[in-house]
Amino acid sequence: MSILYVLIPLAVVLLAIAIWALLWAIKNGQFEDLESHGWSVVLDDDQKPPRESKTPENVNNDVKQ
Amino acid sequence: MTEKACLCFHCGEPVPPACKLTVETEAQQQPVCCSGCQAVANLILSTGQSRYYQFRTATAMKPTEEDIDTGETWKRYDERHTLWGTPLKDGRYELLLQVEGIRCAACAWLIRSQLESREGIEQVQVDVATGFVRINWRPDKQKLSRIAAKLSGVGYRPHLPLAGAESLGRQQERRDALKRLGVAGLGMMQVMMFAAGLYAGDAMGISESFERFLQWISLVVTTPVLLYSGRVFYTSAWRSLSNHRVGMDVPVALAISIAFIMSCVNFFTGHGHVYFDSVVMFIFFLSLGRYAELVIRHRNLQTCLALARLLPEWAELINDGQTEKVPATDLRVADMVRVRAGHTFPADGLLVSGSTEVDEALLTGESRPVEKHIGDKVIAGSINRAQTVEVEVNKDPDDFTVSVMGRMLLKSQTHRSRYTRLSERYAGWFVAVVLIVASLTAAWWVTHDMTMLVPATLAVLVISCPCALSLATPAAVASSSRALLEQGVLLTRSAALEALGAINTIVFDKTGTLTSGLPSVVNTVINPIREEYSKDQVSRIAALLEIDSSHPVSKAFADVVVDRSSVREIINHENGVQGRVEGTRYRLGNGAFTNVNVVDLKDGYGRLWLADQNGWIARFDLDDGLRDSAAESMAALRAAGFELIILSGDHPQAVASVAQRTGIDTWYAEQSPAMKMEFLKSLQKDGKNVVMVGDGINDAPVLSVANISMTVSGASELANSTADFIITGKSLKYIVYILLAGEKTRSIIRQNLLWALGYNLLAVPFAAAGFIVPWMAALGMSLSSLLVVLNSGRLARSGLQSDLMKRTGLATT
Repeated sequence: MSILYVLIPLAVVLLAIAIWALLWAIKNGQFEDLESHGWSVVLDDDQKPPRESKTPENVNNDVKQ
Repeated sequence: MTEKACLCFHCGEPVPPACKLTVETEAQQQPVCCSGCQAVANLILSTGQSRYYQFRTATAMKPTEEDIDTGETWKRYDERHTLWGTPLKDGRYELLLQVEGIRCAACAWLIRSQLESREGIEQVQVDVATGFVRINWRPDKQKLSRIAAKLSGVGYRPHLPLAGAESLGRQQERRDALKRLGVAGLGMMQVMMFAAGLYAGDAMGISESFERFLQWISLVVTTPVLLYSGRVFYTSAWRSLSNHRVGMDVPVALAISIAFIMSCVNFFTGHGHVYFDSVVMFIFFLSLGRYAELVIRHRNLQTCLALARLLPEWAELINDGQTEKVPATDLRVADMVRVRAGHTFPADGLLVSGSTEVDEALLTGESRPVEKHIGDKVIAGSINRAQTVEVEVNKDPDDFTVSVMGRMLLKSQTHRSRYTRLSERYAGWFVAVVLIVASLTAAWWVTHDMTMLVPATLAVLVISCPCALSLATPAAVASSSRALLEQGVLLTRSAALEALGAINTIVFDKTGTLTSGLPSVVNTVINPIREEYSKDQVSRIAALLEIDSSHPVSKAFADVVVDRSSVREIINHENGVQGRVEGTRYRLGNGAFTNVNVVDLKDGYGRLWLADQNGWIARFDLDDGLRDSAAESMAALRAAGFELIILSGDHPQAVASVAQRTGIDTWYAEQSPAMKMEFLKSLQKDGKNVVMVGDGINDAPVLSVANISMTVSGASELANSTADFIITGKSLKYIVYILLAGEKTRSIIRQNLLWALGYNLLAVPFAAAGFIVPWMAALGMSLSSLLVVLNSGRLARSGLQSDLMKRTGLATT
């Protein structure tokens, strides 16, 4: 049973990692939108539409910095 | 005789017969109803997002001409920093836009994929429930007007950003609460696991070194949870104490502290038990309750903010004969604005030129348009139905009727928050009492028998764990709200179910609540000399003539199934409509329009006449149609002993007619929202406990004053946000169900409380006397909680439904 002296601290370490991951996820807004990302799997194409910056129309409209 | 209606591919509305527009999908040509829908659908299809149409669960909003030039309008605000949202680090901004037309998750996907691939847009979040889109972007790389144009390009109408900093604060508050909840939850799982080992050790024996080890680990996990998740209770308790009040968090903080400190003392002195599991469990359940409350509060706040959505963002300001588009919030007293037909008034003011009909339904619940002439007052948020008019603004945006209503609402909502934490407060005091009993027990055993000190005190603490007691109410409420949901009733404030017990008066709004808010034909009379026409035939002709009309009266014929190709040459006039059906030219309208020499009655929606060139054929008597089973439900409520009252803003004749048809004796007409609020308050002063049933925005403040509020299907968002019960079904019989469910829930709660308290009262003396060893106490506590949960489960099973059937005689589905 003395293996518990290793396993239980290990569980606490895992707990710390879980808490860190949770805090990170919340901070990054992973829990803000629980609906639409699930749809992305079904809906998104593998091929993305071309980025807007490459269209000539947008080059003219570019904001001067 | 019916033709399969041809529906627009994009918005799902019927395609006018003359419209030949189509869009090309992968498979075939699809019809669309207008050039707006065509443009939007083409854009969606051309950017490879045709799957939106495949997976959406609701049809899209019909785009208007204005949506298409949205980009132009917004261009003038590209340089306005205040519209960019909240500044973040390194030049990014967080923009919160309220967007109209988000109806299902596929919309959220469409918006995200349209925006996220664009230069300068880092992250897009869409909240389908509230219609808010949060955009993390860089104004130096992407223009505001292009974002707006992109949104409106795919058919979603963006609105000017609301106060950004405040919403960011709310997001932070929600995230912090979620973090506290998560930490407490994870911590609880661990500590409970160690506690299970300790309890098992009590029962079956455990080596002292293991016991010390498990206690030590529990302390290590509990301390950060207490410091992180439990800190809010201390700050809140301290705040109330420094205001010389004993707030609800004081016993909570006390209980946590005593349990933690006692555990630490016992741990370091090396004898006695530890209660770290109780500490984290208590913190977790309290955090859970707080988080749920926070989410509801934020949602309500957002709905209040959405009041702003009723007002158009842009107004046409008249300046030296020129019109200029300005944000409506920039309007000031004495500005002149032009309001086109079909548009919403951007401000409160006086009509200075033209005359028109105004739809004030959103504000007064009255769907009949009101005539307005020069000098008449118009209210921001009402809709101009007939002619383009000019209005002189006579109030600042803060004093608009809508704004005042919003403030009234916010005030009354904070006022009623008193009962939201009632059960929590009881739990807090209960814990305090338990701790006092436990210390008395400890004190007694210290002076009498030191060996019994630890087991007896521990037994008291474990056996009286407030689990069963704190579960008694929530478990019952949860099951009964699940049962209600199956019936189509949404419970938004759990305390409301308990509060139903004291109710003795029910107050109804008329338009849209007792009635459906739409006209219906209550009587059809055929001219005795034109008996070649049957009643079916005349209603079919009337339905054909009204087929494309947007006038409210046309809804009276909406149920009649007709073949739209048999009507031609429809011309809409001010007082009616004419058209050719199967070769004959008919006119449908009021007496003057149809050349019938009669005096028009002004009750209800009045009368409609159908005529051809040979004179009148039929007369339709219109009235506001009652909701499903209104009369039966009212009879059932009256039989159950409730006092029923109608409060309406409508004129006395209309109210009397509905009162008579529903059999309600007490009614008051021509009541403003403020008068309704006063009336309710005076009822409450007389000791009455009032349920208010309403639907309109004008009802929202009144709903929030009532002890219990209910809204019926088709109610405005704002009214729903203040409602305790949201009835999604069309019938009024659900009010009867709710009251019965409340009764049933209360009896279950009483049983639960009786059991939990009785068990505690019975067991605690034995525990204090030392007859119960801790493991028996732990078992008893769990069984007691289980019993409470099982008892509550009876509500969710067939019990409630069959009871409803029996008691009301109304079918339950």
